[in-house]
Amino acid sequence: MTKEFVSNWISKLPEAEKDLPLLLVDSSAYTPRVAYNEVMRGSDLGNKLQALIESGRFGTTLSDEQTIAKLRLTEIMRTKPEKPLFATLSGKVFTPSELLKEIEEGTSIGNQWVNNEISHMKSLMQVR
Amino acid sequence: MPALKNTFLFVEPLKHYLEYGSRVMQEIVRTYRQPGQIITELLGDEANKEKIKQELQRLNPIVFVALGHGNVDVWSDECTEVFMRVGDPEVELMKDRVVHLNSCLTAQELGPAIIDAGAIAYIGSKEEFWFFTGDAPGTTRAVRSPFLAEYQFDASILQGKSNSDARQDQMRKYDEEIDYWTFGDGKDDPNSLELSRILGINKSISVFLGEGTVVPSPTRPMVVSASMLPILLPYLALSWLIYRELKH
Repeated sequence: MTKEFVSNWISKLPEAEKDLPLLLVDSSAYTPRVAYNEVMRGSDLGNKLQALIESGRFGTTLSDEQTIAKLRLTEIMRTKPEKPLFATLSGKVFTPSELLKEIEEGTSIGNQWVNNEISHMKSLMQVR
Repeated sequence: MPALKNTFLFVEPLKHYLEYGSRVMQEIVRTYRQPGQIITELLGDEANKEKIKQELQRLNPIVFVALGHGNVDVWSDECTEVFMRVGDPEVELMKDRVVHLNSCLTAQELGPAIIDAGAIAYIGSKEEFWFFTGDAPGTTRAVRSPFLAEYQFDASILQGKSNSDARQDQMRKYDEEIDYWTFGDGKDDPNSLELSRILGINKSISVFLGEGTVVPSPTRPMVVSASMLPILLPYLALSWLIYRELKH
């Protein structure tokens, strides 16, 4: 295990993604930036996070993945102005809080965003 | 009679947030149309059922590109007027055409029904197609981006490509737009995170059915007419002089 691996990985992530929760250790979610700091400190938590980063994994079960995905989408939406920002070609329009409600309630619309977020998270873990 | 090559019908409604897509569709047609193509655009109130049927019968276009709200078995035009539903006679009007329905969910039932009715190809979405409405239609990359990716298929068809090449271009354009918001010049935009998600969803739900090898609008070699000779002669003479100098 090398710290350079983690250093290279985080340097290639988009800046805006570095502060979104991505890695799950002992039921707590960590952002890439926090993970990087822990790895550099050489803490026990840092070692666990580094093992996840090197193996390209961020959670252990589908339920964990969904939990992290929802956390990330909440982080993205909560800073947005409360006005219609998202529309679909089936005639639906959503403010950020309305879209978050769909996500929390697990509707088909909400699941579309959660499943896409899981794919996005997987692609971030594969950045090398 | 088979549909006419090089002939296009674009349906561009404006109401119910559809102006966001129609403005980009108009831009694509303006940018990529080629000499010799017959193109009709039905904009706003003209994008109604009666007019669309009339133009399909009058033009008999090989390419039908239509933006509108949709569901699994239905597609609608301006003001959400239903144009066709699975089982309606209007589905038969899609026979022999390349049909791009930019709307939600039609790939589940209506798209396959269109192929069953004899269409050459169908492009559409199997789930909700998303777009960003944070700025006025057509004014920023953020509101244009989802449609720029989706309409790359039509841009490539206008440039003379086959259905399958146009489809590959469309998928590549999706990747380019995602990359723009994730790693490119758009990565610091305040809306970059949402845009990369919207594009990721739209790409993952895009569906192509039908024949890939057909070229709906083949590009033709330029025919030199007598009226063009005064313009071309100086260039021909110069080319000959350069050739003669290089030869020696």
